[in-house]
Amino acid sequence: MVQRAVAHGGKLAPIVFPHDLVALMNPSVFIDSDGDILVNVRATNYTLYHSENKQLFPSPWGPLSYLHPEKDQRLVTENYLVRMNKELEVTDYSKVEMLSLHTPIWEFVGLEDARLVQWAGVYYLIGVRRDTTTNGQGRMEYSTIALNKNKWEAKEVARKRIPTPGEDKSYCEKNWVPVLDRPYHFIKWTSPVEVVKSYPDTEGTEQVSLRQGIVPNKDQRGGSQLVRWGNCYISVSHEVDLFKNYLQQKDGIYRHRLCVWDDQLNLVGLSKPFSFLDANIEFAVGAVILGEDLLLSFSISDNCAFVLRTPKLVVEDLILEALDYAN
Amino acid sequence: MRIEDLIINLCDDPFNPELNFNVAVKYEEMGQSASAVTFYLRTAEYGHDTHSHLAYSSLLRMAYCFDTQNDRQHTVINCWRQAILVDPYRPEAFFILSNYYERQSAWQEAYVWANMGLAQADETPLPIDVGYPGRFALYYEKAVSGWWLGRREESIEIFNRLLTQDIPEHYRQSITENLKRINPDASI
Repeated sequence: MVQRAVAHGGKLAPIVFPHDLVALMNPSVFIDSDGDILVNVRATNYTLYHSENKQLFPSPWGPLSYLHPEKDQRLVTENYLVRMNKELEVTDYSKVEMLSLHTPIWEFVGLEDARLVQWAGVYYLIGVRRDTTTNGQGRMEYSTIALNKNKWEAKEVARKRIPTPGEDKSYCEKNWVPVLDRPYHFIKWTSPVEVVKSYPDTEGTEQVSLRQGIVPNKDQRGGSQLVRWGNCYISVSHEVDLFKNYLQQKDGIYRHRLCVWDDQLNLVGLSKPFSFLDANIEFAVGAVILGEDLLLSFSISDNCAFVLRTPKLVVEDLILEALDYAN
Repeated sequence: MRIEDLIINLCDDPFNPELNFNVAVKYEEMGQSASAVTFYLRTAEYGHDTHSHLAYSSLLRMAYCFDTQNDRQHTVINCWRQAILVDPYRPEAFFILSNYYERQSAWQEAYVWANMGLAQADETPLPIDVGYPGRFALYYEKAVSGWWLGRREESIEIFNRLLTQDIPEHYRQSITENLKRINPDASI
């Protein structure tokens, strides 16, 4: 995808800035009401070690390992809020100061894979938190963010744990897809398409619709936000092949697709799988329109973060390809 | 060259070991150790059969990257050992292991790895500094660890021989101090 975008006049921008953790990953790009290009970047205390090709050089724990400190089993996440200029250069960055509401009691600590949105003028980071129970139960959470653009400081000022509709008994909810121009609406599943609505300041979550759109031949999981593109919506989803080698060590391959949605949020198109940089592990959690183009944000191997300016021509080719899926 | 330009180059040939290595080196220079690890590891995996010097160097640089992250010692040692698997006829990884065990006061291990390093002859230049000062440093490790293993006369002989060579000043000072301590009656 990067090669294709750049060949058509797009631009790849690595997101690099000084930080006090180990890795920068899973960036979520967004343009706010001031026209600022903002990116939430997940920073972690671990390095994902992933051997590719013949896997001749695995870690001591296998070809795919989360290398946290050896005396600290936790996988810790912090978030940084970054501003980029129109050339997609990082101009400002600040660690998001999170509220201290509880002592984490599971090994995955922090708000993970947060998508950035601004609804009714308020910034939210919406991600999954798994540190509030002793078994790692995951729930999407709203973190309301106060952003001081003069000092470039970001602070969490409120938090809501989002229940599932119904009995709220599932183990782990993650990667709900925010619909940018429909405040508080999310795509929870893609097949069938389940749309839910949950307000940041009231209890509960409502199921808005549950309809079967086109049927993907592989489970499509949440990726970027849903953005309006002409008379449709588009988003980038991901799919995973998880498997084990003969030593029963886990491994996986991630690929992405462009999803096309109609006004009723029916899934009506699905592109062929693509990769960004031909790495086996890639993950895109951000999309927003800049001018005529689409900004996509992604990381590879959980270790490098990028924003890709994807020209309109490339996006529209993908949309046509996606719409062909149904035919 | 800027990191974005190096990655764009890589897009045209994503499994090219040299292009992956260039990206890794740049990320390491920028202080992004996790990013560097990703591309050093790709260099090793895709370059093992065709670019052994790059694969070897990458595994040693990966060890430095993990070392900067603190408390990843099993992974660091694993990288050094894997470098030896790529090219067991080079001395650098043996020196690094010997030096590591010397700092741990694990004298037998330090002595063994120093001797293993001295048995290797391939010292053709590598594409990047991997922290190997030269053959004299293996002799230095052998002399230091050997003293603790009861090989006093051998240590004194090696130290004295090293003092006749053109070696870095901090090594010269260390050798002089060691000789004063272990052989106080001798004139240096």
